[in-house]
Amino acid sequence: MDIFLTILQGVPMTIGLTVSALALGALGGIPLALGRRSTIPGVSFVAVSLIEILRGIPPIVWLFIIYFGLGTALPMLDPLTSAVAGLGLISCAYMAEIYRGGLSAITRGQWEAGEALGMGRQSVLTFIIGPQVFRVSIPAAASYAIGLLKDSSVAYTIGVSEIVYFANDQSRQSSDALGPFFLSALVYVIMTIPCAWATRALDARLRMRVAR
Amino acid sequence: MPPHIEPPRIQEKPLTKPFAIQLESVAKKYGDHTVLNNVSLSVREGEVTAMIGPSGAGKSTLLRCINFLERPDTGCITVEGNQIDAGTNFTAKDLAALRRNVGMVFQSFNLFPHLNVLRNVSIAQERVLGRSRKEADVRSMQLLERVGLADKAKQYPSRCSGGQQQRIAIARALALDPRVMLFDEPTSALDPEVGLEVLAVMKELAAEGMTMVVVTHEMQFARDVSDHLVVMANGTIIEEGDPEQVFTNPVQTRTREFLRAVLER
Repeated sequence: MDIFLTILQGVPMTIGLTVSALALGALGGIPLALGRRSTIPGVSFVAVSLIEILRGIPPIVWLFIIYFGLGTALPMLDPLTSAVAGLGLISCAYMAEIYRGGLSAITRGQWEAGEALGMGRQSVLTFIIGPQVFRVSIPAAASYAIGLLKDSSVAYTIGVSEIVYFANDQSRQSSDALGPFFLSALVYVIMTIPCAWATRALDARLRMRVAR
Repeated sequence: MPPHIEPPRIQEKPLTKPFAIQLESVAKKYGDHTVLNNVSLSVREGEVTAMIGPSGAGKSTLLRCINFLERPDTGCITVEGNQIDAGTNFTAKDLAALRRNVGMVFQSFNLFPHLNVLRNVSIAQERVLGRSRKEADVRSMQLLERVGLADKAKQYPSRCSGGQQQRIAIARALALDPRVMLFDEPTSALDPEVGLEVLAVMKELAAEGMTMVVVTHEMQFARDVSDHLVVMANGTIIEEGDPEQVFTNPVQTRTREFLRAVLER
């Protein structure tokens, strides 16, 4: 029981790390997704390249590059900041792809209706297209978030005191090497199930409102 | 200094109203396919112009060129004094000025599904005219009242029938006080009976003197309500004139064929 309580100490860090990285991704994904669709020469190429590089490098490598690479030059990069930055960057790429899918699900008529009403492209994007894209993106973003919650465990490798960090610590201290990891598994499952359930409920509610 | 003498003014009532819309040699190609072949068209203030013709004739494309939803390759478009030459580089401001006077109704309604009916009608008033939410909502309610749908204000578009959605779309376009209304096959996606309620709103609008351009397959509407009939085929206007004249005694063989196909079935 003590071991379990000790592992629970990592929960706020895991959640904080996941939420921060996801928030970065949710914001940073917007310019990347729009950049991908841009007709300005070069912009789309840059956006696609960024997305592919961000996604192509494994999270653990990103964290090492940021923490051990940049971290030596920039002393303010503590493990948590490095982990948020690394996972946040990767999230930008994944969220951009999710938004792209959402954008392509919006019919041309929605753009045209906004433009015909005299709204500028910026206005149409902000008030007409954007909100709809967010809504259709929710299911995909939620499954990504659940994945991110688990993947945030790589932050343990650079010393962020999240769930696996404590589990590993307990494993070393006790004679039972495997037990703490089983307990950490249980903690992750307890966290992900309500997430999945909540997003399904949210999705159903939004769908009911806008069902055609 | 001699006193300024006012020249005698001849009070003359104009026989014809000025032009609200003028299209001059509008051309549009998709690759090798010519959709519009140097089409010119003028619409007078307060006039209802109906555009008919077979599918693929370019009616909708021409209509969409009026407010630049479709950009012509060449040609000059003037709406209520705002002129844009498609061949030149025009600014977003020019485009906004032209669109400012033009309302549009689409075949597929294109209501905003994430906003309730009231917000659908209000949002552009707030963003384009700078009205406050309260002012916009008051105006929206008037218009919803007018199209007979005030009770739907708090509903989402998905809860409304097709005919209701199209009437909401008309209210939404009218909310910006346009001087010209464009209708792109407004009843084509509706059951014939439901289409009637939309046509009724359009007739009312026409009776009030709104300048309208209507692409339609509703021959009865074109014949009864329009002041000017335009027949298009293969990217050109093949015949235009008084609707009764065109319907009863078309000049072109192609018009005759088309009318026979749609009327005698």
